[in-house]
Amino acid sequence: MRRLIGKSRWWWSITATALLIAAGWTSPPLAAWLQQQRTPALTVPAGWPAPVYDARDNPISRAGFALGRRLFYDPQLSKDGTIACASCHQQFAAFAHFDHRLSHGLHGANGTRNAPGLFNLAWQPDFMWDGAVTHLELQPLAPLGNPVEMGETLDGVLPKLRADAEYRALFERAFGGAAPGEALIDSQRMLRALSQFMATMISSDSRYDRQQAGSERYTDSEARGLTAFREHCAGCHREPLFTDHAYRSNGIDGGGDIGRALITGQARDRGVFRVPSLRNVALTPPYMHDGRFDSLQQVLQHYRSGITPAALAAEPELKKAASLSDADAVDLQAFLETLTDESFIHDPRFAEAAAR
Amino acid sequence: MAVALGPSGSFGRVRLPKMALAIALTLLAAVGCKHGDGSLPLQVEISHGVGEQPLGLGKEYTLAGGERVSVSKLRYYLSNFRLRRRDGSWSAAARSDQDARGYFLVDESQPASRSFDVAGFKAGDYEGIEFLIGVDAQRNAAGVQSGALDPAHGMFWTWNTGYIFFKLEGRSPDSAEDGQAVIYHVGGSRQPADNSRRIYLPLAPRPLKLQPGLKTTVHLQADLARIFQGPPALRIAEHASVMDVAGGKLVADNLAGVFRIDHVHHEPLH
Repeated sequence: MRRLIGKSRWWWSITATALLIAAGWTSPPLAAWLQQQRTPALTVPAGWPAPVYDARDNPISRAGFALGRRLFYDPQLSKDGTIACASCHQQFAAFAHFDHRLSHGLHGANGTRNAPGLFNLAWQPDFMWDGAVTHLELQPLAPLGNPVEMGETLDGVLPKLRADAEYRALFERAFGGAAPGEALIDSQRMLRALSQFMATMISSDSRYDRQQAGSERYTDSEARGLTAFREHCAGCHREPLFTDHAYRSNGIDGGGDIGRALITGQARDRGVFRVPSLRNVALTPPYMHDGRFDSLQQVLQHYRSGITPAALAAEPELKKAASLSDADAVDLQAFLETLTDESFIHDPRFAEAAAR
Repeated sequence: MAVALGPSGSFGRVRLPKMALAIALTLLAAVGCKHGDGSLPLQVEISHGVGEQPLGLGKEYTLAGGERVSVSKLRYYLSNFRLRRRDGSWSAAARSDQDARGYFLVDESQPASRSFDVAGFKAGDYEGIEFLIGVDAQRNAAGVQSGALDPAHGMFWTWNTGYIFFKLEGRSPDSAEDGQAVIYHVGGSRQPADNSRRIYLPLAPRPLKLQPGLKTTVHLQADLARIFQGPPALRIAEHASVMDVAGGKLVADNLAGVFRIDHVHHEPLH
């Protein structure tokens, strides 16, 4: 009798699992749920180029990703324990700093540039508005060390992590025990874990992507917007990543910020900044390197009538933007809103672990 | 599927002979991992001085141009060692993409860092030694490193990613900076301004010999006064603080004249 029950329970669980899997194929909520149980991977969406980030030395694992996420949300990474990466990179804003022209770091000090959204970073050859950082793994050192952001040093942060038993367990799970003569928790392991989290933040499920795949249809206005976009904007904001990864003048008067020239030392790079991706653009106001524009209307208005004459003469792509009509601008805005990726900003795998 | 690629854009920047060299070095390093492959180490010892005097941290020296300077911090990277045979061929030190083997951080405040073994040479007679002051562009653009190249050593720029190749900090009454500071941070691998410097020092008249049963040590003398002497002369009154890539070229060019071979030891091993 006991054996019979045991056997029937066993059959029951097999059947239930099979049903769940079968339902998973057909039921969208269940498929989404199953998807969310997987560790994000550095996979290449259809039609995208190969990523720039080479994960061969840093293979993405469940434990490594979880550790990276933990570090991303941990204010201990700042000098006084008040600022995490996530303080200025909020998931609901596609990891930009919502409604902040500039972000405030340690002791309320303000930075000088607008915090960008974080997604598709594995495709980005260099980082920051001026391209100061040339490798994803080294990117976190910039905000970590900036006195108006997290104001911390590696020598300062590593002892904090080493003193924390939970981190010791997480590092061991992610990267194994310490090699002889090496530390369990060191800068290489910390930055590689953060990179596992950052490299897999892939945003490729917007309405635009579904329209391209043929599973959704654009409204007439959105479709006209896409046409206008390709004619007036795509020279710099190239599909499918919506950036050409170049540094260009977009015709704003740069204020006191010399931009790319700080890095290259070239006079021609004064006031030149990175071309940002337009994916999730409706979620990431304010806009431009200093967050000067609050809305997409203001941005479009700038391209239509605010470009400085010198920039207009120097950058042929700006002439195309300047010729947008009133009707184009309305349709273009409708199109830009289709670049919002709701599943990315609601993916619990990228949210703070405690909130799950 | 994720497609494996080289470090960002490296194929665009690295010329083919350099690539070939990198591949050759990698193969060599792979060979060097095995025991009993016949590769031999060369010990390098470095003494720092200012003119004829040995360097003492915090001690004040008068330079040829009459300016005075004291050094509180002196740290720099040496890498890419190789030895030249009489026929013009080279034997290169072991290097690995996986760790910092072949990269050495010299720190005046850490006497042990001024003496190190460069591994992976072939036995033979050599008439010259070459090395890089700094970190090569390829490694400088790679991801986060460990060992001597751990960014936690404070020899890393985060505002313009890459290693600080050479760091000299001190004071001078001739400095116009706050606290009479003298700060030279030299770095930057982006073309057209690569501030690493390749140094070749001939070992004439007697060759350097590497063979089993012999411990060979090359002793380098580094004269910091040469940084200021040039040519062109670097005047502290005009350049007391150099932390940008363009300014770093001044210091880097003069660094090339800092090192000379003091002597070579050949000592039988027992």
